[in-house]
Amino acid sequence: MGEHETLLRLKNAIIEGLSEDATYLIKQALDEQIKPKRILNEAIISGAEEVGKKYENGEFFLADMLLAADAINDSMDLVKSKLEEGTHYSQGKLLIGTPEGDIHDIGKTLIVALLQGQGFDVIDLGVDVPPEKFLDMAKKENPDIIGLSGLLTVTISKMTEIVSLLKREGIKAKIILGGGILSEESCEHIGADAWTKDGWEGVKLIKELMGVV
Amino acid sequence: MPHDWEASTRRIRATFAGLSDIDRVPFFPLACEELICRISGKTLRELLSSPKAYANAAIATYEFIKADTLSIPTAYAGPAEALAFAEVNNKENVIKWSDYKVFMVKQGDICKSEEDIERLEIPDHSKISLWDTCLSATNLVKEKTRFQQSCSLGIWSVVQELRGVQAYRDMRRNPELLLKLCEKVYQSQLDLYNFFIEKVGASRTIFFTGYAFNKHMMSFEDAMKYEGQFIKQLQKETKARIILHNCGTNPYFDEMCNELELLAVNGSHPLDIEYWVEFKKNHPEVTILGANIDVSRELLNGTTRDVEKIVKENIKKLAPGGRYAVSPICCLPWGVSLNNIMTIPKAIKKWGTYPLNFES
Repeated sequence: MGEHETLLRLKNAIIEGLSEDATYLIKQALDEQIKPKRILNEAIISGAEEVGKKYENGEFFLADMLLAADAINDSMDLVKSKLEEGTHYSQGKLLIGTPEGDIHDIGKTLIVALLQGQGFDVIDLGVDVPPEKFLDMAKKENPDIIGLSGLLTVTISKMTEIVSLLKREGIKAKIILGGGILSEESCEHIGADAWTKDGWEGVKLIKELMGVV
Repeated sequence: MPHDWEASTRRIRATFAGLSDIDRVPFFPLACEELICRISGKTLRELLSSPKAYANAAIATYEFIKADTLSIPTAYAGPAEALAFAEVNNKENVIKWSDYKVFMVKQGDICKSEEDIERLEIPDHSKISLWDTCLSATNLVKEKTRFQQSCSLGIWSVVQELRGVQAYRDMRRNPELLLKLCEKVYQSQLDLYNFFIEKVGASRTIFFTGYAFNKHMMSFEDAMKYEGQFIKQLQKETKARIILHNCGTNPYFDEMCNELELLAVNGSHPLDIEYWVEFKKNHPEVTILGANIDVSRELLNGTTRDVEKIVKENIKKLAPGGRYAVSPICCLPWGVSLNNIMTIPKAIKKWGTYPLNFES
């Protein structure tokens, strides 16, 4: 099989969310001496972009996005370890969590998978996270972006508390909010830099905030 | 002046029936556990300590905000059902209680594995103390106010609580397994419905939370497969009319009205009021409870003038011809000022009294 065909099959496996096929093809591509950076750009990132386009066109839904994200992450794990020494591929560092009082995590799980697939280093604090933990981890990890994800309307007041604590303590990271409960007005009220109501839109916004579009 | 629940009943009935003999547009808020705790000053555990305590606090809350509807919240058909499943499957540790808001379930912990789904026991609601309290309280509310009560159900909201994000992987990788879970949840919902009839009496309407019907979550075909077909079955078995609640940001309201026989839709998105004007034209038999009064906008961040303005706009555009009730979506969170909440009934009285007049 030629290099082009291997990369194309890998890209298609990612789009279709076939993790096992994707990891098999990554190994094959590496055996064929295709450079890891080429695998990354021409198959994985290109596949991820195609997945995003299909979602925007209404061809793909949450289930397809999630499976594609799984395939992307499995592939990334294999390729990252083969990148040339000293090459640290990262689009930025993001700290994310669901604020205290809310333990929903479907939206957060999806965006974490999508961001990792796009080359971000993501620190997932989990659910029901108190404001102080966001602050401690922000100080320790110095992320570029902090994401607060929530499903319930009751989470809005906790988001406000967290954002004001982070700002008061001088945290410079941009803050993005995620969840169907949000609006332009509530984002402004809470004092965040951006908001999103779905995972893929969130990825695009984060890339914009990072200047990596 | 004491709250006149008889008048509220007449308003709601006439609105659903599209009749013109109505004094004003009804106010149809969703007072969840958090608002009842806030108004009553009691913790959720205190409310759940007896049906009387819960019923009195719920009545006091709905009367305080001058609502035309009244119910005992049952955790939007998600956590409370997950709690029932957790209890009968010996997984109570996945429930997290809070003082002044609804308890929650760690999503996906009850049905972590395929085996969990295969072995999942369906709850007998009469043996679940929480449900016994909630439905006994519902019956007390009905007895005290004579206000008709609706049973509150849902399928996908419960599936998400039980299976978590894995449900979306199952949708493509193991649809049969996912359908098996949906079927079990449906059986549980039927058991709940029958327990409701036993405790409260016949439910002519079902308030159904249809969370599958969101455009960014799944295709309409999948939403019908994993939730819609069960709504159809439910309608066939119970003969009850469905009020469909969806507080998501991209709901399939139009498509659902074409596929299912709905009494009313309860949602706030899309936020463009013209969508709702068009919806009313296209589905004249379906009552709109909501339109674009979203709790995260004017109510949370605006002034009383902003709230009055949006209530007026909704009434002006949607109340002529009836089949419309003002309903902020969704639950009213702690951060919303009571002044803003109380502006809604004031604005309804001012702008929603028939014959409608928008001149003053």
